Amino acid sequence: MLVHLQGPWTPVLGRLTLQQIPYENPILLGTFTFVAVLAIAILAATTYFGKWEYLWREWLTTVDHKKIGVMYCLLGLIMLFRGFIDALMIRTQQAIAVGHEAPGYMGAVHGYLTPFHLGQIFTAHGLIMVVFAATPLLVGIMNIIVPLQIGARDMAYPYLNALGLWLTTAGAALVMVSLFIGNFAHGGWYGFVPYFELPYSPGVGVDYWIWTFQLSAIGTSLGSINLIATIVKMRAPGMTWMRLPIFTWASLSTNLIALTSFPVLMVSLALLALDRYVGTHFYTAGMGGNLMLYSDLFWVWGHPEVYFLILPAFGMMSEIIPTFSEKPLFGYATMVIASFAIGGVSWGVWLHHFFTMAASPSVNSFYSVTTMLVGIPTGVKVFNWVFTMYRGRVRYELPMLWALLALFLLLVGGMTGMMNAFASSDYMWHNGLFVVAHFHMMVLVIAASVFGAVEYWFPKVFGFKLEQKWGKWFFWFMILGTGWTFVPMFLLGFAGMTRRLDYIPYMQWSPYLHVMLVGMVFYVLAVCFFVAHLYVSLRDRVSNRAGADAWGTGRSLEWMTHSPVPAYNYAFIPHINVLDEWAWRKENGLTELHAGDYEGIHMPKNTGIPLFLGMLFMGLGFALIWRIWWLALLCVALIVGLIILRSFDRDTDMTIPAHEVERVERGARDETPATARSAGMPGGAVTAHSALRPGTDGIGGGTTSTNPSWAPMDR
Amino acid sequence: MEAAGAKETREDGSDIYTNVYLEVQVFIENKRYEMCAKMLLSLAALTLGGCSSDGLYLLKPEGLISHTFYHYFILDVVIMLFIIVPTTLLTIWAMWRYRKGGKGSYHPTWSHSSTIEIIVWGIPLVTVGILSYLSVKAIYDVNPYNPGVISKVQKANGGDPVEVDVIATDWRWLFIYPQQHIASVNELVVPVGVPVRFRLTSTSVMNDFLIPQLVGMIDVMPGMRTKQALVADKAGTYIGYSADYSGAGLSWMHFQTRAVRMAQFAQWVKSAQQSPQHLSYAGFDRFAKPYIAVGGDRQIFGSVQPGLFDHVIDEVMRGKVWPTPMAMTENMVNYMKKQRAEQKAGDY
Repeated sequence: MLVHLQGPWTPVLGRLTLQQIPYENPILLGTFTFVAVLAIAILAATTYFGKWEYLWREWLTTVDHKKIGVMYCLLGLIMLFRGFIDALMIRTQQAIAVGHEAPGYMGAVHGYLTPFHLGQIFTAHGLIMVVFAATPLLVGIMNIIVPLQIGARDMAYPYLNALGLWLTTAGAALVMVSLFIGNFAHGGWYGFVPYFELPYSPGVGVDYWIWTFQLSAIGTSLGSINLIATIVKMRAPGMTWMRLPIFTWASLSTNLIALTSFPVLMVSLALLALDRYVGTHFYTAGMGGNLMLYSDLFWVWGHPEVYFLILPAFGMMSEIIPTFSEKPLFGYATMVIASFAIGGVSWGVWLHHFFTMAASPSVNSFYSVTTMLVGIPTGVKVFNWVFTMYRGRVRYELPMLWALLALFLLLVGGMTGMMNAFASSDYMWHNGLFVVAHFHMMVLVIAASVFGAVEYWFPKVFGFKLEQKWGKWFFWFMILGTGWTFVPMFLLGFAGMTRRLDYIPYMQWSPYLHVMLVGMVFYVLAVCFFVAHLYVSLRDRVSNRAGADAWGTGRSLEWMTHSPVPAYNYAFIPHINVLDEWAWRKENGLTELHAGDYEGIHMPKNTGIPLFLGMLFMGLGFALIWRIWWLALLCVALIVGLIILRSFDRDTDMTIPAHEVERVERGARDETPATARSAGMPGGAVTAHSALRPGTDGIGGGTTSTNPSWAPMDR
Repeated sequence: MEAAGAKETREDGSDIYTNVYLEVQVFIENKRYEMCAKMLLSLAALTLGGCSSDGLYLLKPEGLISHTFYHYFILDVVIMLFIIVPTTLLTIWAMWRYRKGGKGSYHPTWSHSSTIEIIVWGIPLVTVGILSYLSVKAIYDVNPYNPGVISKVQKANGGDPVEVDVIATDWRWLFIYPQQHIASVNELVVPVGVPVRFRLTSTSVMNDFLIPQLVGMIDVMPGMRTKQALVADKAGTYIGYSADYSGAGLSWMHFQTRAVRMAQFAQWVKSAQQSPQHLSYAGFDRFAKPYIAVGGDRQIFGSVQPGLFDHVIDEVMRGKVWPTPMAMTENMVNYMKKQRAEQKAGDY
């Protein structure tokens, strides 16, 4: 051992001992029982209904960008729920533990959560919401929509796509494992140094944090490479840059940010890992280490990351608002410029995350001004959305309601963001609840856009619309919850209350903390309505079926193909003539999809290797966390072996035969829009010519599964 | 945008104000909305009624630095509201007027206007320009190392500032008065109207020094020295605490700031110097061990070994750490018992 470890270590189990299982904690025991029962029920149901093969063939081994996107969204939703439960616990603890006479339960002096537990909860809340809820949801939606919007059949690297998903899932799974084996980090999601160094965080919590974060970072970087390559290289013929749908532009901008910033995160985490495992002194206070280095490195990733999250959300709003205003987006070119301006400025603002670290006034001035510059393109975007509605014919269906909520939240979040950029004010509330309330406004902009986007694109992916009644209850209770939670939080910001408190000494703050609890009750009800929303939608799916152009006023290319989308997206790759191709085709009566004889379509083959790699990476992470060196070495060996095995597999793609395509196309359950007149394809459809090598048996035969069905996702 | 709106009115052949008035009328007459609004308002009044503005410390500045912050803060907010409020109103207006079946005329292809584009880039550009100027000015005015506003006071009034060396441990504050050779734990006493200049460091992890009504945050970092300065305007007791997460004891890491008249300050110093407790380098080594100050912990040291502040920085830079036990507060009640027992045994 190169470093001094508190507690025992054995060669076989590393730091793992029976004491690390928190079976004495009733909350965790309850959670474990719940999760175990749920897992057994799911496994039993899968077996009972004989769905294992279906699950394996259609989902676990898939490389289809839509299914991968759906799984990303599912992962995001599950983790969103977990993050919400964390938030609920933080709020209740802070409402109870006010004043020195507050009662204490379960080993806590005040309230029911000790600093040790609350610390894990707020750390997990932050990390989960940022990298395991928001990121998968956004990446998932980009994964589904971008190829459809540019007229591609799949992503540029389908295999890489699946790998990104399973690595992210492995990270999320490790976070969940930390609930029941050991503990999670307890110092804030972005990790304070030297607090996260071994002397001050001697347990395995920080190691869990490092490796889960690292796994998700790798997954997201792979995803960004893929999306950039897809957008640059796989656009349909005729789709010039200025005909690119605005959401695709936002995705390009956001993934350029991801590709350039995530490696910085990986390095900063790796250096911290070296400090903790090898005993180096990158971030320690003494021995030549520099804790400021970590702040710089982390936030050089951290701030671009914020825009990595918000830009797709802006892109979603820019798609939804024109559709429901029944007219084109106002100032398309400006919107593109604004997206890239935000992306560009995002690189020059990171120091505002530590204005209080005593940089000279000239340095703080520079970063204060650059931070304010972000307000310019963001303001332009707001105005452009408003002018999109101006002279339009606005329909208030659920996606539009969410998009508008996002717009109003952005006004609040934007204004408070500008207040934070004002460094002299930031000195007063830097680590305070004002900042917390501000960035929650911004992540709620993301959340509202994501909910809007899910409502909006759901019929495209699954072929039926989500119902409106419970969805509206969900919508309004989200607003109520937001108001009741975050107005008091802004006020507590003016009170000077700081973050991450386990105990609040000042009784004057107690009413605000109680009002926030009311907000949480609204949020809980909102979650219930959301479940009802999903349940009723699934139950009534037959009566809610939607055609290709589900909302009737869709503008971009994805509304042209069937809902749900067949595995190959487009039977004929369309030729793009204008921006808002589908709106143009509808105007000119060119909505007929069939343009001649079908041809075989060249598609990637399913593979189980990404799933196995994800499992092995999870094993590697677990081994490193508990310092079980033999297991770590074994996992590395297997990972390398599997990658080599895959690189010799030449049987990675296939052709969907023409008659199959014809069968699926004829079976597509779209209703042709009533207004559509049949006409030939303008400019001639370009069919994809499949250039196939003669079929060979792959050497990874065991891992390359049988052919999936070509039909769209089951309804 | 105004011009465009006016043009539209003429096309409709009706007065825009009458239209808006009628629309508002319809909105109000819709009983469901009214009921909804009433219910929400009463619920809001009920819940917010219990809150008082007593605790909103940032809005009650009592020091030169915090007053300066407050001045710029109000200016900043007012300027931004000039943009945000009209934008919000414009959004609501567009949402209402151009709803399907509303009064607004529908132009299905309208999506570009150079005039509007120039305006929508121009407004944020000008606003950000003004705010940037103010922000830079404010940063120099409250610069912790040499606040413009305090320098001005000092130049006008003369006199020496009071010096305080602050050491943050896990999880207590030690205030050393090097000129008076005394130290105080978790209580800061400063004279009113006299500049107080701080030097700050930490023994283990990062903390953040904050007295909301007097002065903003400055990071307190191990192995490093940062600076801060304040002038208290009014005698009184103010809360102060660590604003950065530093571990299990953070929530109890608060201190009291007493701003007193100069004569009282001198008296306090004299009485403090009578305290028999002495803080040596070795004693500090014991003092800096993890300690959660539940219920507060105030002590006065009548004498302090000179150079303690620089000694601590040196030690930390050489690699000295005061490690935290594993899973220390997994059961905090038990830990507090253990801590009490240890405290009885040890002395500084």
